[in-house]
Amino acid sequence: MSNITLDTIRKEFGSGQDSIVAVEDIDLEIRDGEFLVLVGPSGCGKTTTLRCIAGLEDVTSGRITFGDKDVTGLRARERDVAMVFQNYALYPHMDVRRNLGFGLKLSTKLPAAEIDQQVEEVAEMLGIEELLGQKPKELSGGQQQRVALGRAIIRDPEAFLMDEPLSNLDAKLRSQMRTELQTLQHDLDVTTVYVTHDQTEAMAMGDRIAVMNHGTLQQVGTAEEVYRDPVNEFVADFIGSPSINVFDATVDGARLDGPGAFTYHLSETAPVERLDTVRVGIRPEDITLVDDGIELGVNVLEPMGNENFLYATLGHQEVTARISPTNRPQPGRSVSFAVDEAALYLFDPETGDSLKTKRDGEVPSGPDSIPNREGVQSDVGTGAGTGSSTDPIEETIE
Amino acid sequence: MREETRREAVWQFLTYGFILLGAVVTLVPLYWIFVASTLKESEFLSSTDPRLLPGDSFLGNFGALHARENVQFVGRVGEMTQYVDLGPVYIAYDFWNLWNMGAIESSIFVAGIYTVLSLLLCSMAGFAFAKYEFRFKQPIFYAILATLILPIQLLVIPLFLLMSQIGLTNSYWAIILPWLANPLGIFLMRQNMRSIPDALLESARMDGATEFQLYYKIALPTMKSSLAALSIILFLFQWNLFLFPLVILDQGKYTIPVAINQLVGAQRVYYDQIMVAATLSIIPIFVLFLFLQKQFVSGILAGSVKE
Repeated sequence: MSNITLDTIRKEFGSGQDSIVAVEDIDLEIRDGEFLVLVGPSGCGKTTTLRCIAGLEDVTSGRITFGDKDVTGLRARERDVAMVFQNYALYPHMDVRRNLGFGLKLSTKLPAAEIDQQVEEVAEMLGIEELLGQKPKELSGGQQQRVALGRAIIRDPEAFLMDEPLSNLDAKLRSQMRTELQTLQHDLDVTTVYVTHDQTEAMAMGDRIAVMNHGTLQQVGTAEEVYRDPVNEFVADFIGSPSINVFDATVDGARLDGPGAFTYHLSETAPVERLDTVRVGIRPEDITLVDDGIELGVNVLEPMGNENFLYATLGHQEVTARISPTNRPQPGRSVSFAVDEAALYLFDPETGDSLKTKRDGEVPSGPDSIPNREGVQSDVGTGAGTGSSTDPIEETIE
Repeated sequence: MREETRREAVWQFLTYGFILLGAVVTLVPLYWIFVASTLKESEFLSSTDPRLLPGDSFLGNFGALHARENVQFVGRVGEMTQYVDLGPVYIAYDFWNLWNMGAIESSIFVAGIYTVLSLLLCSMAGFAFAKYEFRFKQPIFYAILATLILPIQLLVIPLFLLMSQIGLTNSYWAIILPWLANPLGIFLMRQNMRSIPDALLESARMDGATEFQLYYKIALPTMKSSLAALSIILFLFQWNLFLFPLVILDQGKYTIPVAINQLVGAQRVYYDQIMVAATLSIIPIFVLFLFLQKQFVSGILAGSVKE
C-alpha cells in the first residue's frame, strides 16, 4: 500500500492545433488507505485522470508515483492496480469463477489450486459463492457488480480505481452497494480512487473529495470542507442538493442590492471592499421564513415528508429554499425570508473565487454559529465513512 | 380484427411459399446430381425416360472413376518404400506414402490448412484494425478492401511468375499463400471485433494480460460464431478455387474442381463419372456445415438484435 501522487499531470488528446486538453496540470496526493472521490460534471476530465492513474492513458506531461516508485512510463499491467468499470466489463465467455481467477492466473505464478481457493474466499466475502458456475449474462446487475468488485479485490492491488461503478444500478441497490463498498474499502484498507458525477455519492462516500471542472482540479477536501468552504462559485454550485442560489448584487458600502426586493446590510465589509458588484450565494437550507424580511413570490411547493422544497422568485431570480414540513406557503402568494450573515457566500463576479464562505462567518467550534444544522446534516452526514469524529455538525446532532 | 388475422395468414402463406420455392430451386439440381450419379449415363441423359429416383449404378460409376489413369479422385493405398525391417514387423516411416492422396483428400487438406491459417491472419488483422490506432490505418484498410475488385483471372499470370520465382510451382503452398490475407475475412473480422467493448480489453489489460493475450484470450473466444461463419466462407473459397490450381499444379496434385475438369475429354465427356465426383465433392462441405451450423447461423445474425 502506498500514497498515489500526481505531479502536474497533463493529458492532451490529438496533436498540434486540434489537440484537446482533457486534464490540465493536476497536482494531487492520495493518501495511503484513503477513499478519494473525483467528482465533476461530465467532460471535466475525472475519468481521464483515473485512466492516467490506471495506465490506460499515457500522460502528456507530469509524473505519477505510487509511494516512491515512478510509474509514469509503466503499462497498466505493470502498475498493480485494479479497476472496476462502469459497465463491469466481465468476460462474457468465462463463468464467474474464471472471471475472478483470470487476473491471478495472468499476473502471478500461483498454482491453480491456490487460485481456486482465493476465488472461493473472495466469493464468500461478497456473498456470491453460489454464482461461481454461472456466466455473466445470467447474473443480475447487482451480482455482476459484485463479481466486478471481486475481480478487483482478489488481486490485492496497490489501489482500487473505480469508474462510476454504481451508476448502472437502480436507486435502491445503488445506496445499498454504496454502503457495502465503503465497508469493504474500510476493511481492506486499500487506497481507492472513485470517479462519479453524482455529488451526493461523492459527499457520502469520500474521505476526501476532489472537485474537477474543465480539466482542472478545483478543490480537494472533506465533504464538509467543500460544502462549507468552497474555493469558488463552481464548487459551491456543484456540491449540495438542491444547489446553492447565486445571483448578482451591487455593492454600496455595506449594502448589497440584488434582484427584486433583495437588500442586505453586511456588518463585515472587508470581502466586498473595492468591488462594485458581487455574486451572492445562499444555500437553500439557510433561507429562514420570517414575518418581516426579503419578499419572495412562491411558485411551487414540493413536500418531501421530512422537509419542504420551496421554489420561488426573487425579482427575476429563481430561488430554492428548504423549509420545515409544517410550513406550507401557498403558490402564488408571497413570503418573506431572512438569512444569517454567517451563512452568506460571496463570490468575485470576475473570477468566481470565494470572497466569503460559511467557514469565514463561523466562530470556531461553536455549535450556535451553524445556521441550519438540519439542512447540512441531511446532505453530509448520510454516509457511514464521511467526515471525521471531530465534525462539529455530527457533534451537534448528538 | 378477423380481417387482419386473415391478411396475416395470407402473408405467412406467401412468405413460406416463397422460401419453399427458393429451397426447391436450390436443392433440385443437387438432388438430380445425386440421382444421376446412381444411374447409367444413358439412363439419365435419356430425354424420353426422365428418372427422378436413384438407381443402382453408383458403385459401377465410382469404379470407373476410380480406375481412371489421368485423374485420381479418391486416394489409393500407397507403397511403403521406406521402412525399418524388424524381421516379422515392418515399421514404415514414410507415412506420407502410405496413402496416395486423391483430389478429395488434397482439397480437404488444402482447404483445411488454408482455413486455419487464414482465420488466424484475418482475425489478427481484423483485431488490429478494430482496436488499435496506428498511422495510415484507414488508407491501409481501404487498400485491402480494394483488392476485392481484382478478379483472379487478372492475378493468375503475375502470381504464377511469382510462385515460380520462389520455387513453389506444383506446391500446395502456391494455392494457399496468395489468399491467406483474405480481404473479405479481414473486413468481416474487423466489423465484428468493433463490437467488443473497449472496457473489456482494458479490464484484461488491468488484469495483467499482454496485447497478444487480449487477442487470443478475450477477442477470439467472444468471436466464436463469427469465426465459424468465416471458416465456412474461407473453406468454400479455397474448395471452389479452379483457375490458379489448374495452372500451377501438376496432374498428380489436382484439387477437386480441376480433377472434375479432367473428366471433360476432347472426344468424350464422362457425365456419369462427373456426377459421382460432384456428389462426393459435396459431402465434406455438407459435413462441415452440419458441424458449424449452429454457430454459423448465429454468426450471420450477430449484431442484428440488440442484446
